[in-house]
Amino acid sequence: MRPSLNRLIGWLVLAVSVVLCTAAAEAHPHVWIVAKSELIYAPDGTITGVRHAWTFDDMFSTYALQGIETKVKGAYSREELAPLAQTNVESLKEYAYFTFAKGDGKKQKFTEPVDYFLEYKDSALTLHFTLPVKTPFKARQLSLEVFDPTYFIDFQYTEKEPVKLVGAAANCKMQFERPNSDGTAAAQKLGEQTFLDGGNGNFGMMFANKVSVECP
Amino acid sequence: MTPIASRVMRGLAVSAAVLAVFALLDGAVHALLAQNPFGAPRAAEPQGGLVGWLLAKQSEFYREISQTIRAAKSDGSAVWTLLAISFAYGIFHAAGPGHGKAVISSYMVANRETARRGIVLSFASALMQSVVAVLIVGICAWLLNATAKTMCGAEKAIEIASYALIAAFGARLVWVKGGGFFRALQMPRPALAMAGAHQHDHDHRDHGHDHHHRHAHDDHEHHHDHGHDHGHDAQHVHDEHCGHSHGPTPAELAGPGGWRRGLGAILTVGIRPCSGAILVLVFALAQGLFWAGIAATFVMGLGTAITVAAIALVAVSARGVAERLSAARDGGGMVIMRGLEFAAAGLVLLFGLGLLFGYVAAERATCL
Repeated sequence: MRPSLNRLIGWLVLAVSVVLCTAAAEAHPHVWIVAKSELIYAPDGTITGVRHAWTFDDMFSTYALQGIETKVKGAYSREELAPLAQTNVESLKEYAYFTFAKGDGKKQKFTEPVDYFLEYKDSALTLHFTLPVKTPFKARQLSLEVFDPTYFIDFQYTEKEPVKLVGAAANCKMQFERPNSDGTAAAQKLGEQTFLDGGNGNFGMMFANKVSVECP
Repeated sequence: MTPIASRVMRGLAVSAAVLAVFALLDGAVHALLAQNPFGAPRAAEPQGGLVGWLLAKQSEFYREISQTIRAAKSDGSAVWTLLAISFAYGIFHAAGPGHGKAVISSYMVANRETARRGIVLSFASALMQSVVAVLIVGICAWLLNATAKTMCGAEKAIEIASYALIAAFGARLVWVKGGGFFRALQMPRPALAMAGAHQHDHDHRDHGHDHHHRHAHDDHEHHHDHGHDHGHDAQHVHDEHCGHSHGPTPAELAGPGGWRRGLGAILTVGIRPCSGAILVLVFALAQGLFWAGIAATFVMGLGTAITVAAIALVAVSARGVAERLSAARDGGGMVIMRGLEFAAAGLVLLFGLGLLFGYVAAERATCL
C-alpha cells in the first residue's frame, strides 16, 4: 500500500499542477481592442451615455472585412462598412457592450447604440458608437468598467487620453485604472470584491479597465 | 494499520484521486466562475505571476502570427518562423476551453481506455479540428467569398452541433456505464477479502434484450492479491453514430474494430474548429498566403494534440492509480471503479448539456 500511496501523491501533485496551468491559460484573448471612451454629461449634470471608439487588431480587422466588396481595392468607405457596423453593434448586445456602469453603487443599464460607424485606417478597423444610458442619472460616484468577462477580447485603453469627461462639472474628479498586466493585484482585489458581491466575480474582471468619477 | 483504518485510508486516497480527475475534467467549466459547480469562485484565489506569463506568452505568439504572415509575403523564410510560432501557440492554446480536453479525459476515464489510445484520440481529434477549420475558410471565404457574418453563422451552427454531439456522446456513455455500475452494485461483495486470497466472481446475468439494442453479456472479475484487476466486459452497443461499440479488452484494442470505437470521441471533439485557427486562415487568405495559413493551422493542431494528449494521460494515470488502490483488497473497489466510470460518463453528458444550454462557457466563435 505504501508505494502506491506515494505514487498517488505524485500523481495528485502532477494533476494539480496541470489543473493550475490549465486554469491559468484557459481563457485568453483572440481579439485585441485599443479603446478610447468618453462619458457624456447633460448640462444639468446627469450622465446620459458613453461614447466608445474601439480599434481592432489587424488580424480581426482583416477577418471582419472578409467578403466586403469595395469600389477601390483596399479602401473601405464608411458607407461600404455600414452593414458590418450594424452587425457589430447587434452582436455586442449579447455581451452588454462589455460596458458596465454603476451610479452610487447601483447598476445602470444601456439602451441600443446610436451614432455607430466603422472607420478603416492603417489596416485596422475602428468602431465608433454611443451607448445611451437607459435612464439618465446623477451620481456622486460613478464607476464604469470595460472588459470581456470571458476574456475572449482584450481591452486596452490608449496611452493618451484614454477616458474623457464631456460636459461634466468642473469639480468632478476622474480616476482611471488599467488592468494589472499579470493580474495579481487585480486578482487579490477581486477576491475581496467577490466576497462582497456574493460570488458575482468572474475571471475576465481581472482584465477590467476601471473608470471612477466623483462629483461632489 | 487495522483493516478498518486501511479501508478508510484507501477510501480517502481513492476519493482524492477521483477529485483530481474531476478537477482535470472541469476544463472549460471554470471559465464561468459564477456558475462553477465545483465550489468557490476560483478567481478569488491568489494567482502568481505565472498566470500573467502564460497569458502574455499566448498573446505574444498569437500576435506574432499575423506579423509573420505579413513578413512572409516578401520573405519566404518567414514561413518557418510562422510554423514554429504556430506550434508553440498550439501547445499553450490547447489549455484553453474548446479543445476537447474535458471530453477526451472523461471518455478515457469512463471507457477504461489505454494511454496509447488517449494519445491517438487526441491527435486524431486535433487533426480533424484543423481539417474542419481549413474546410470552413476554404469553402466560405476562398470559394464563396462570404462575409465574416456568414462564416460566423457557420461556426455557430457547428458549435451547436458539437455541443449536441457531446451531450449525445455523454448520454450513450451514461447508458453503457450505468449498466456496469448497477451490475457492480448488485454483485455480492466478497465478505472476507484477505491478502493472498484469490477470488473469482463469475456473474452471468443481464442477458437482457431491450429496445435499445443492448446486449450486456457477462462480467468476469478476477481479483488477485497484488491488486491487479482484470475486468473483461464484453458489451455490444448498437448506435446510429458509431456503429458497433465494444467494451475494451486488450485483444480488441489492437484490432481494427477497436479504433472505430474511438470515432465517436474524435467526431465529437474534432467537429469544432478553434476560432484562432479560423482567424489565422482568413488573415492568411487576405494576404494571398492561404497555403501558409493552412500549414500553420495543421502545425497548431499538432501542438494542441500534444497538450490534450498530456492531459488525457494524466486522467488515465489517475484512473489507473484509483483502480490499483481500490482493487487492492476488498471487492468494494469494483463498485468504486464502475461508479467512477459512471460519474465520468455523467460528466460528459452534463458538460454537453451545459454547453448546449449556455451554463458552461466555451471558447466562442468570433462573431462581432
